[in-house]
Amino acid sequence: METYRPSVGTSVQELETPCLLVDLDALESNFELVAQTYAGTVCKMRQHGKNIKSPVVALKQIRAGGTMGGVCSAKVSEAEVMVEGGVEDILITNQIVTRDKIARACALAKQADVKVAVDDARNVHDLSSMATELGATLGIVIEVDTSMGRGGVRSPAAGVELARLATDLPGLVFKGVMSHQTLQGGSGDRANREAIGRKFIQICLDVRNAIEDAGIPVEIVSSGESFTYDIAPEMEGVTEVQGGTYALMAHGHAMSGDFQVAGKILASVVSASRPGIAVGDVGYRALTSPTRLPALEGLPGVRVDSLQEDHVVLRSDGDMPLSPGDRFVLLPAVQDTMVNRWDQFVAVRNDVVEAVWDISARGCVH
Amino acid sequence: MQRPVFKAPGTPVEELDTPALVVDLDRLDSNIETLHSFFRDRESTVRPHVGCHRCPAIARRQLAVVGTAGGIAVNTVGEAESFAHHGFNDISIASQVASPPKIARVCALARDRTITVACDSPVVAGLLSDAAVAAGVVLRVVVDVHTRLERGGVEPGRHAVDLALAIENAPGLRFVGLMTYEGAIFVEDAEELETESGRCIQLVLDTREAVEREGIEVEVVSVGGTYNYEIAGAMSGVTEVQAGSYALMDYRYAQYCPQFQQAARVMCTVTSHVEPGKALTDAGEKSIGSDGGPPVVDGLPGVTGTGGSAEHGHLALEGAAQSTLSPGDKVWFIPQDLGTCFNIYDYVYATRAGRLEAVWPIAARGLYR
Repeated sequence: METYRPSVGTSVQELETPCLLVDLDALESNFELVAQTYAGTVCKMRQHGKNIKSPVVALKQIRAGGTMGGVCSAKVSEAEVMVEGGVEDILITNQIVTRDKIARACALAKQADVKVAVDDARNVHDLSSMATELGATLGIVIEVDTSMGRGGVRSPAAGVELARLATDLPGLVFKGVMSHQTLQGGSGDRANREAIGRKFIQICLDVRNAIEDAGIPVEIVSSGESFTYDIAPEMEGVTEVQGGTYALMAHGHAMSGDFQVAGKILASVVSASRPGIAVGDVGYRALTSPTRLPALEGLPGVRVDSLQEDHVVLRSDGDMPLSPGDRFVLLPAVQDTMVNRWDQFVAVRNDVVEAVWDISARGCVH
Repeated sequence: MQRPVFKAPGTPVEELDTPALVVDLDRLDSNIETLHSFFRDRESTVRPHVGCHRCPAIARRQLAVVGTAGGIAVNTVGEAESFAHHGFNDISIASQVASPPKIARVCALARDRTITVACDSPVVAGLLSDAAVAAGVVLRVVVDVHTRLERGGVEPGRHAVDLALAIENAPGLRFVGLMTYEGAIFVEDAEELETESGRCIQLVLDTREAVEREGIEVEVVSVGGTYNYEIAGAMSGVTEVQAGSYALMDYRYAQYCPQFQQAARVMCTVTSHVEPGKALTDAGEKSIGSDGGPPVVDGLPGVTGTGGSAEHGHLALEGAAQSTLSPGDKVWFIPQDLGTCFNIYDYVYATRAGRLEAVWPIAARGLYR
């Protein structure tokens, strides 16, 4: 359990390391871009809470504007943290199948507007039984598989069948459809993003159309993500976009032209005993994935060589400018799963701590 | 902080809220017995490195069995503080500590217990000395010797001897010995493992002799790990082996160390099975950690793990599993890298014969600083 908590006003140079920093100027720039993009659109942003795991950060985007007022959560326990933090509208983007968790989702639905994703008829029956037993009303969103081969119905007919079931069963309110897709490693240029995004999101819209044709109104079409943040809202019928990555933005990500890297790691050199090499006090346990190396901010001529469990190895072709005790900043290549390994965001502006936010949904995988 | 639904001791393991990190106590105890019994009548001992589980309850079980140095090894000051708080009185910090605030924390710990810290720099030795004098404590320092892994360490021989002398002569410091972390040597060929381990450790032992020729006593020579404990522990002059992975044994280590059983697994639940040949579970990267590669499905015919995304585990199904596996069913994964896995959980379930016996906090999770 973390006991260190820097006070507001502390200089970055005085922080204990390693430390997960949030660059407030970058974060606010990202949130402002979303606010502007969605200022005049019918479609709104529903930020994904799984990437930030903090209601404080989610509410910052909601206040900045451009959202529909709620968030996505990946898990029931993550949704609980968001509701406790003051978020009132939650879409749980996964199937909830065990009795324990269905009960928690229903209990939460008595405190906030809670919707869950489904792709299976028996699961819809289970959700209905528990909601009825607990006197709750649970929103139902049908997940559509558009390209991932993960959860989600594979055809419009399967979607219509589940929509009918969710409409007929007690304790449930059928709300709509959702899908998630990725850029599949492609480039972030607009033409490529648009081709991939439109093709896959249309599959989700086709399911919506089939459900409406069957006489069931569809209120929500929740699709799109950071790479389609400016494409999905132009597609007729999409009501909200599930953007997550954009908030903290990883180094080297296809969308790092539009959004700035806001999550950074402050580290210190602990050893520089060998020529051209410095060893820092953070490794892949804290950064994830030893193969996806972070980049150094500044420090030309020095590069990240490798990650070990608790150490990073920096290498320089010439003299190593860093000595034991010196600070340096890493730009992570991965943010989502990395944030899940930290307990605290230290929010900084102009190298001074402005706030410390608990990552209160860290580890909330239940 | 994680929020599982907690169940009472005695609960069948399949009823635990998933994803669940589960330790089988019989296997854990067997692994500890296997490694520790090697050290039963030897000069050398094992100093369990707890960075791979960060759990005081597991460390206590390790120290309760013969063959230990009486203490543990950790990688960070935060881990040392956490284990000290849980009653551990002999802790080696097997990494360099270079910043004055962290050194002050090490000195505070050293007031009431045996704390040893690694050093590879005369400048840092000066900082350690100043802080120890200011705090009125004597810090035990080992010289970290570079042998193989690029992770700092002073060159063996003359450089190491000079640093040992500097430490020995610095007020507030006591030179106690040498350590190296040669890094896990993953080779299947026993001869190659012995040659490479022997080469690295001999560099440290030669340095030991050189230090002793200067009239300085060497109390500690701390080397090796799970993969070469039988080699390291048998070399005369080695006083302790910093083994960690043996207690729980993850998948990536297992093929090199067949005498140990995989004692920790992650139980998850099937959440979606829409296509015959594919299913999803509730345990993705955030529930297992894929730093060492994708986890492996344990003992379910026709079911193969095909990796995962952040929130989902992906299963490929063949044969009968295509029709029998349903949402709600349990699937067990063996993580590739348990050090990562334990670092994302706040609790581990201790079970015996398929029933919950205790819930143990992973107290030092996330304590990177």
